[in-house]
Amino acid sequence: MPQLTDLTAAVAAGKRIDTVRITQELLAAGTGPQDIVERGLVPGMAIVGEQFKRNEIFVPEMLVAARAMKEALKLLEPLLASAGIRPKYTAIIGTVQGDLHDIGKNLISMMWRGANFAVIDLGTNVSPERYLAAAKEHNANLVGLSALLTTTMPAMKDTVRIIKAAGLTGTKIMIGGAPITQAFADEIGADGYAADAGTAVDIAKKLVGQAA
Amino acid sequence: MKSPSMTGCERVSRMFARREQDRVPRCDSFWPETITRWQREGLAGDHHEVMRRLGADFQSLCWCWPAPFPGRREVLSQDAETETVRDAWGGVARFWKGRSGTPEHISFGCDSRAAWETTYRPAMLDAPLAANLSDARRCEAEGRALGRWTHLTGVEGFEALRRLIGDEACLVAMIEDPEWVRDIVDVHTDIVLRTFEALMAGGLEPEGLWIYGDMAYNHATMCSPAMYRDLVWPAHKRMAEWAHSRGQRVIYHTDGHVRQVLDLYVAAGFECLQPIEAKAGMDIREFAPAYGNRLAMFGNIDVMKMATNDLGLIEEEMRTKFAAGMATRGYAYHSDHSVPPQVSWDTYQAIIGFVERYGTY
Repeated sequence: MPQLTDLTAAVAAGKRIDTVRITQELLAAGTGPQDIVERGLVPGMAIVGEQFKRNEIFVPEMLVAARAMKEALKLLEPLLASAGIRPKYTAIIGTVQGDLHDIGKNLISMMWRGANFAVIDLGTNVSPERYLAAAKEHNANLVGLSALLTTTMPAMKDTVRIIKAAGLTGTKIMIGGAPITQAFADEIGADGYAADAGTAVDIAKKLVGQAA
Repeated sequence: MKSPSMTGCERVSRMFARREQDRVPRCDSFWPETITRWQREGLAGDHHEVMRRLGADFQSLCWCWPAPFPGRREVLSQDAETETVRDAWGGVARFWKGRSGTPEHISFGCDSRAAWETTYRPAMLDAPLAANLSDARRCEAEGRALGRWTHLTGVEGFEALRRLIGDEACLVAMIEDPEWVRDIVDVHTDIVLRTFEALMAGGLEPEGLWIYGDMAYNHATMCSPAMYRDLVWPAHKRMAEWAHSRGQRVIYHTDGHVRQVLDLYVAAGFECLQPIEAKAGMDIREFAPAYGNRLAMFGNIDVMKMATNDLGLIEEEMRTKFAAGMATRGYAYHSDHSVPPQVSWDTYQAIIGFVERYGTY
């Protein structure tokens, strides 16, 4: 019978077929779906994030790992839902108003899902008001703002201002994207900044109070 | 501003040869909104006037990006700000109306190897020439009249691959179906070179080839250097060899952090790197001493520093980077991407002054 560590290795290596097979075998052997997610899949994506940060792997390897996890989650999510189990943290993500670029946002979204966050993806060209409404509706722990262009950085400032002004004390704001820096995050009052998709998981966990 | 003693063509040619120049060659890019702001602030003219004031030395003769369905632009829907279009690559993308910025790619028509082989590959091979000879001749005449260094301009295989099948499919295919990736890159490269060949046969005599292809983001290359070497680099080398065999110099444009692949660029035959994105952690002060004799540095002036409008900060950025690049005589001025609309017209005029002050040999 496979072990959870086998599942972790399969995800980290991006082996989709093996990931699904091991997940099925673990379920058949009586392993709970929550254990499979938290002790099998999530550690696999954590390995991917660490390797990515160290430039040991690149975006293609991260994508195939995320796809492998996604296939396994298709088997597990109905079981988790029927048991009333859902991720502990909820994140809203989107590309800011004026910006239609989405690959960076999509990568972060995959990695946050890989860290067992519930992720609500608002898409691109998201207005400050939509971010705020979604944060309220989903009682979000985290709001992620992405921007590719220097021309759309001001929209981040507006979004941070509106969310902060609403007094959502349990909601942290994190920003990222090609032109973004820690200094800019500090300047506009964002709670966190991540330079890449691997770091984005660490920062997200820290912001919501979970050990990175 | 002193009168130049060389034409742009002489200057750029000498930069490639690392011979003496009167000043560094110059070029720049601007977001459309930047030009609009500057017009409000007193610029009399458009980006051509800015380039004239800057003293631009480069002249493109064409923009070659082969597509399977050239000319197709079918508007599927629109709202006040955007329109959703099925384009020449068979994909559906949402574009801003009257505003710059990258589009949102909603779907890609070439979504499988089967679609490529049965529809898109034949369509690309059957499509008409991917550049217009009469337009190219007009640009060449204009460039010659201005004394500029003329170049063909074309998109390389990785960028073409992303445009045709999308980022996610492209990057996954690099692992799961590398032969498909190689085939798309090769077919694209064949068509680009065939197009350039036809332009040359029509009488063009450009000094160089400027290859466009963004293969990195702010942290690293999109794929590993080994994967780049295996799947895309052979086509890069082929483009450079084609240019060299016709006496042309080669400039390669990529955004993002490409520090890990500079050796591969040199080995491919690229002779100049542009625009060297500072906000992605690229700094010619660090690598020009090691690479400057083999790879000319074109750009790297941080637009984020420009956007502060702090002339002291901008001057220090330009002074130190010009010094690093000019140490090997292999440097040309360009911002590290496109000058954003946060930069005032007064600031950009000061930047032109810094180019003159620190870019004179």
